[in-house]
Amino acid sequence: MINYIIRRLMIMPITLFGMTILIFLMLWILGPSARSALYVSDIPKNEAVMKGIITKYGLDDPIYVQYWSWLVGRPDPDKPGETIGGILRGDFGYSRTFSRPVMELIQLRFPATLELTLYAFLPIILVGVWLGVQAAVRHNQWIDQIARLFSIVGYSFPVFVLGILLMMIFYAQLRWFPVERISDWVKMADYTKYTSLVTVDAILNGRLDIWWDAIRHMVLPIITLSYTSWAAFLRITRSSMLETLRQEYVTTARAKGVAENDVINKHARPNALIPVVTYSGITVAYLLGGVVITETIFNFPGMGSAAANAAGGFDVVTVLAFTLVTGLILILANLIVDILYAMLDPRIRLG
Amino acid sequence: MPEVLAVKDLVTKFYTDTETVHAVNGVSFHVDEAETLGVVGESGCGKSVSMHSLLRLIPIPPGRIESGQAIFQGRDLLRMSPGEIRQVRGAQIGMVFQDPMTSLNPVITIEKQVAEPLLIHRGMTNAEARTRVVELLTHVGIPCPEKRLADYPHQFSGGMRQRVMIAMALACSPSLLIADEPTTALDVTIQAQFVELVKKLRDDFQMSIIWITHDLGVIAGIAQRVAVMYAGFIVEHATVKELYANPQHPYTRGLLGSLPRLDETRSVRLVNIKGLPPDMCQPPVGCPFVPRCPYAFDHCKAENPPLASVNNGHTSACWWDIDLGKPRG
Ligand SMILES: Nc1ncnc2c1ncn2[C@@H]1O[C@H](COP(=O)(O)OP(=O)(O)O)[C@@H](O)[C@H]1O
Ligand SMILES: [Mg+2]
Repeated sequence: MINYIIRRLMIMPITLFGMTILIFLMLWILGPSARSALYVSDIPKNEAVMKGIITKYGLDDPIYVQYWSWLVGRPDPDKPGETIGGILRGDFGYSRTFSRPVMELIQLRFPATLELTLYAFLPIILVGVWLGVQAAVRHNQWIDQIARLFSIVGYSFPVFVLGILLMMIFYAQLRWFPVERISDWVKMADYTKYTSLVTVDAILNGRLDIWWDAIRHMVLPIITLSYTSWAAFLRITRSSMLETLRQEYVTTARAKGVAENDVINKHARPNALIPVVTYSGITVAYLLGGVVITETIFNFPGMGSAAANAAGGFDVVTVLAFTLVTGLILILANLIVDILYAMLDPRIRLG
Repeated sequence: MPEVLAVKDLVTKFYTDTETVHAVNGVSFHVDEAETLGVVGESGCGKSVSMHSLLRLIPIPPGRIESGQAIFQGRDLLRMSPGEIRQVRGAQIGMVFQDPMTSLNPVITIEKQVAEPLLIHRGMTNAEARTRVVELLTHVGIPCPEKRLADYPHQFSGGMRQRVMIAMALACSPSLLIADEPTTALDVTIQAQFVELVKKLRDDFQMSIIWITHDLGVIAGIAQRVAVMYAGFIVEHATVKELYANPQHPYTRGLLGSLPRLDETRSVRLVNIKGLPPDMCQPPVGCPFVPRCPYAFDHCKAENPPLASVNNGHTSACWWDIDLGKPRG
């Protein structure tokens, strides 16, 4: 297992390198003036001034020189001895749309998205697996029918339609749930922000009122973000479990006198989870894509809505910084998936 | 010899969405102590379903055991509670399946899989079970078993996996072993080794065996009696010697058609008998072998022949008397 993890970690640098290359190529294609936002806060309209900036920051240098500068930074022409730029230093340039360094924007917005995504993702994994297994075991009984209904509804509604529908009913009409991330009084409230995840901080501070407020704000976005994934996840877990229950080794287990509960939980489920683990990696990717629409609909101040705004303003460095963060999360998620996969399947671990 | 198992009029059907599969249509047989009964028949004739029915391993639904009894050591397996039948499975009746590639769990170590019956039925501790597992694996001829305990099925060859399967089935020293085509998926040389192993184990463990196979050659080498199955019926039943010397049912004759003499050791599979295999979805009316039978006459279509005694212990289900060349009368 350790060997497998080491081997798997060894390909990480290659994946990361590939991702930076792809993202830098996008910057490259957009041309030198778009790249100027990496180093300066105002992009001059005047062409002569722009030319000056391009020369000053080497934005017409050969591609590999620029890639390197983008990665680790370059000497600051205004302050001798200091370095400017460099994503590895956490300098992603300046966001025009939000009038602040992109890094600051990420620090501000990322926790909101993380919180929302976790609340969407964890129930799918924890409850979804259980429900999918139950649906397979009680094939054609009520729990199976409910899981099937879930899937049908999940596949027949586009995310934005459900989002807008929920918004109109529960926000505009019934006024049950608020939009945005927290109420104004919470913004003013005096509590320590250990993690910037409001619900977690609220609990750490013992402030259930703040926790409840944050939850109320997240209910509609969570539903909108996760319901298609629920559908897909249930379907995959159910069919994988059904398939596994048909395998001969399940009969072998029964023929040994294993009790039915152990047949399901010890013999069948570990096998059925193998494709499910793979699918949870895809679910993470899907959810990260969904935050853009969801956050925009509910005016939820996370990375997704920020990216949408930035894209509207052709704020290239901001959009690409978000792409980078998303890419990093996906690479990490894939690493976790591969490790879980190996834990479940000795053929991978030892092969 | 006392009987270990006596099955009477076993009927099992599958009710699928579109049709009813008449998989087992009233099968009766018995197995004596320390005896091996061979069961032969083409694929799909209900051999596996019969055996799975005994241990109640068929999926319900779609399957249903309609009637019959299976008296095992004085108790009817078919009427036991789920808890009681679990006490029999793996403890008093062991089972080995056809395909060792799919019958072992790919994500559980060999040790755990073989030890499981011991933990369940014998209440052994893990340490006690490990000692016993090493003994069992040694017994079935796995080299260096101590080193293989933590291995997974994919690290074994097909023949070795089947040895692991039998070690598992024999863990609790059952009085009956059901081997469902255990050599069908193995190479010919490995098959022969496996048959030799089972013969040795049979003597060591003093157990009865039901050996299901396609392979009449193997049956001759291991079984004392043979039941021939067709379309969910037992159509002929005799001692091995009697069956080979004096086959009565046209189906058995077909099976034996191209078989070499008994003293040849070459293993031979069932020959294909002309015509379509029976449609198990039609309720049986008349003799199921009629469409393929060279001796069929009017009466065969009207009434299904019961098993009738040919001579001492030899029964056959056919209206035609092959020796006299005329209908039985
Ligand atoms: N789970 C099932 N559902 C429906 N039909 C089945 C099922 N299992 C077996 N059958 C049918 O029962 C008949 C007997 O099968 P089986 O006993 O496996 O044959 P074999 O003699 O090759 O072991 C076949 O026609 C098969 O299609
Ligand atoms: Mg079979």
